[in-house]
Amino acid sequence: MFVIITYDVGEKRVGKVHKILKKYLQWTQNSVFEGEIKEGKLKECLGELMPIVNKVYDSLYVYKVSNPKNIKKIIYGVEKDFEEMFL
Amino acid sequence: MKDIFIFNNGRLKRTDSTIQFIDADGKKKTIPIVQVENIHLFGEIDMNTSFLNLLTQQGVVLHTYNYYGYYSGSFIPRSKQVSGYIDVRQASHILDPQKRIFIARQFIYGAVHHMLKNIRQHKDGSEVYINTIESVRVNIENAKTIPELMGMEGNIRKIYFQSFNHMIKNEFFHFVKREKRPPKDPINALISFGNSIMYTTVLSELYKTQLNPTMSFLHEPSVKRYSLSLDLAEIFKPLIIDGLIVSLINNRVMKSNHFEYIESEICLLNDEGRKIFLKAYEEKLSKTIKHRTLKRQTSYRFLIRLECYKLIKHIIGDTTYKPLKAWW
Repeated sequence: MFVIITYDVGEKRVGKVHKILKKYLQWTQNSVFEGEIKEGKLKECLGELMPIVNKVYDSLYVYKVSNPKNIKKIIYGVEKDFEEMFL
Repeated sequence: MKDIFIFNNGRLKRTDSTIQFIDADGKKKTIPIVQVENIHLFGEIDMNTSFLNLLTQQGVVLHTYNYYGYYSGSFIPRSKQVSGYIDVRQASHILDPQKRIFIARQFIYGAVHHMLKNIRQHKDGSEVYINTIESVRVNIENAKTIPELMGMEGNIRKIYFQSFNHMIKNEFFHFVKREKRPPKDPINALISFGNSIMYTTVLSELYKTQLNPTMSFLHEPSVKRYSLSLDLAEIFKPLIIDGLIVSLINNRVMKSNHFEYIESEICLLNDEGRKIFLKAYEEKLSKTIKHRTLKRQTSYRFLIRLECYKLIKHIIGDTTYKPLKAWW
């Protein structure tokens, strides 16, 4: 399953959320992560995030795409961080 | 879950409980650890213990390769899958010659099935090879000792490799004979590189099961090597690697400029060639087919693990081992 997670959280929590998400997904833009992930791992990730985000002020969006073939990504400008098999 | 291959020189670091790679120019790249299954190092890489501890925590296996692209070693997380019972049972199946040859024979049946499958895909003119292999195959049942069995397997493989010239439609990759140490022509270089990758893949899967990778059935269990991964790789080499080689060559993806010669004798894949091969290999491993008994989509990589589970079931006396025979 392909997911895109975007978040808008208070300044104090930005770093914490970023730190957790970067274990699971590829960082593509400020406050945006995306990548291929299994259902269970996504739950694990959200479980780690939930105690941190403040449900009154913050928001966290998860876009799920069940068939990764249905995504067409067009990039204008600089591509920040891309997935690679070879380094 | 995927494998990561590092060709550049640099440093692997642990930052915020995930992997960071810093290349020689100081460019940083973060890799989400949860998605990583194996890391393969081809370049010169520095790392420290806190990084290795992270790998242990997440169960990521690290394989290293030498300058020539040959497998040289692994860092394997402390095995959580230990079972004295399985170890003892596995040993008992090796010590009893009858039981050992039974399993060894199954490996060869699996391998031969996939070899024939490869040859059959190229129809005209392949009957000669098929008939000769079939005639040797009937004798496998009568082999009394392991060396005898190995000899038959060698004969079959020899015929099989001869059929490569029939399958490959490019003169540059003409197959003369199998040369391993070192490979002297492009086709041998491809086979050698492919096989060494296959061993590591099987080894990574073996470590997720309770089997002891040093206790093997077909190959003589010996020191300093994980011979059970050689055993299991026999089944998968023709299924995965050889099919890949033939299709890469026939589709003109692999070309003459992907090889380099050292001391004008030793032929090796260069970095670009390795990348092309590994990319195709990863794609192949993640390809899925519907499993007939599990009734769900299974990837080629998982088929290797299933093979380990079947072997466990056999040695504990649950169900008799039957090798994977590709039905698709």
